[in-house]
Amino acid sequence: MSERSMARAEGATVQPQLREVPAVRMEAVYKHYGDFTALNEVDLKVAKGEKIVVCGPSGSGKSTLIRCINHIEKHDEGLIYVNGTELDRQRKNIDTVRRDTGMVFQSFNLFPHMTVLENCILAPMTVNGMSEAEAKDLAMHFLTKVRIPDQAEKFPGQLSGGQQQRVAIARALCMRPKIMLFDEPTSALDPEMVKEVLETMKKLAEEGMTMLCVTHEMGFAREVADRIVFMNEGRVVEQAAPEEFFENPKSERARAFLDQIIH
Amino acid sequence: MSHFSPTAAVSYFFNYFLMKGVLVTIGLTVAAVVGGLILGMGIALLRMSSNPVLAGAARFYIWFFRGTPLLIQLVVIYSGLPQLGIKFSVITCALVGLILNEAAYLAEIVRSGFMAVSVGQREAAWALSLSPWVTFRRVTLPQAFRLMIPPLGNSINSLLKATSLASVISVEELMRRSDMLMQEHFQILEVYAAATAYYLILTSVWDAVQRRLEKHFGRSSAAKTRRVAASPPVAQASVEARA
Repeated sequence: MSERSMARAEGATVQPQLREVPAVRMEAVYKHYGDFTALNEVDLKVAKGEKIVVCGPSGSGKSTLIRCINHIEKHDEGLIYVNGTELDRQRKNIDTVRRDTGMVFQSFNLFPHMTVLENCILAPMTVNGMSEAEAKDLAMHFLTKVRIPDQAEKFPGQLSGGQQQRVAIARALCMRPKIMLFDEPTSALDPEMVKEVLETMKKLAEEGMTMLCVTHEMGFAREVADRIVFMNEGRVVEQAAPEEFFENPKSERARAFLDQIIH
Repeated sequence: MSHFSPTAAVSYFFNYFLMKGVLVTIGLTVAAVVGGLILGMGIALLRMSSNPVLAGAARFYIWFFRGTPLLIQLVVIYSGLPQLGIKFSVITCALVGLILNEAAYLAEIVRSGFMAVSVGQREAAWALSLSPWVTFRRVTLPQAFRLMIPPLGNSINSLLKATSLASVISVEELMRRSDMLMQEHFQILEVYAAATAYYLILTSVWDAVQRRLEKHFGRSSAAKTRRVAASPPVAQASVEARA
């Protein structure tokens, strides 16, 4: 509320599309692991509904960046706002942010001792206080959406990697997040399974979900992203629309990176 | 008496006096497991805590009770503490000793179980905004428990036999009562054959229980154990490809 009115008050000076509270706002964020600087003065603003692909060489801080957004990693300095809620280490705010965000991990991280359906209903029931019947309906809705309703009673270990990752997406969606974070969702998959996961993500993008994806899938980036964020050594080196980034990268580092991955 | 009398051995096996000793052995074991698990869980949590004082205290406890013989611990509690004015009944002494000792071993088993649950599981729980209690109760504990069952079974098997040490402080469990019968009738082999049979029966029953527990908690993960343990998701995909 105050966020919103503040933004409105600044309305005259800021660009029109930023008048709305951004989905994510990072200002001068730092993250250190011992002597290693994983995030080095990162500024990033993501508008609602925007699709961002974060790319860069390994160790450049991409994963750390999106893991700071739902406070799975704790940033050391700087400000992070998610949907107007500041991640300031207050439990209440962290919980709000985590309820607003869904995350999909490289290694799926499904709960192996629960069925697909149980994986999907746990959070809606225990966090949102849904009844089992309601939660199951909701879970089946999203499992249908990721096209695996018939696997609901199976355990994750009985599914292929691609299927597991689609379950992970459905599980996150069951909390009705406003922002989806993808941390290399296809990097652990066999090539023939990458497509089904990317298709699911595309569908989600078409529906207007705000998305931040760390991925090496440049085809996906070209097709889906509104903006590419290129990182190197903990810094955001370049941000541009996909056409511009791929055709005409400004930084030397981005050119070298693209040469390597696009052959 | 220069021969072994099977009939006498059988009669000792069905001796009411000895059977009551078996019940005491079972009681000591069950109480020590339950008490040891509760205390051990608490010590494991302290040991994993980020507070160095708590973690240090837990480490000291484990070091102390695993580093000294149970026999000495029992004797000190039974005969030593009264010197300081601390007196318990015989059974209480035995239970205190067994629980304190067992907790040290179980704490390490509990800790290793929790440490073997991948960080990714906790991260997924955070990302879903599950509460710490739900995360513990529904996500980490069931997975940790499954991993704890084999070493837990081993430890309980040891404990069952270790209760015989309580005979030294005059607890009338199976071992003590066997001694008493032996001193009365001097049929050494016959009496201990009966006692041996009882210990074997008890450990075998426990083996069977343990197998059922393993089956029960492993049911959801029969296929998965291999894959998650083998971890690289590439391997998971190839399993699927073959299927």
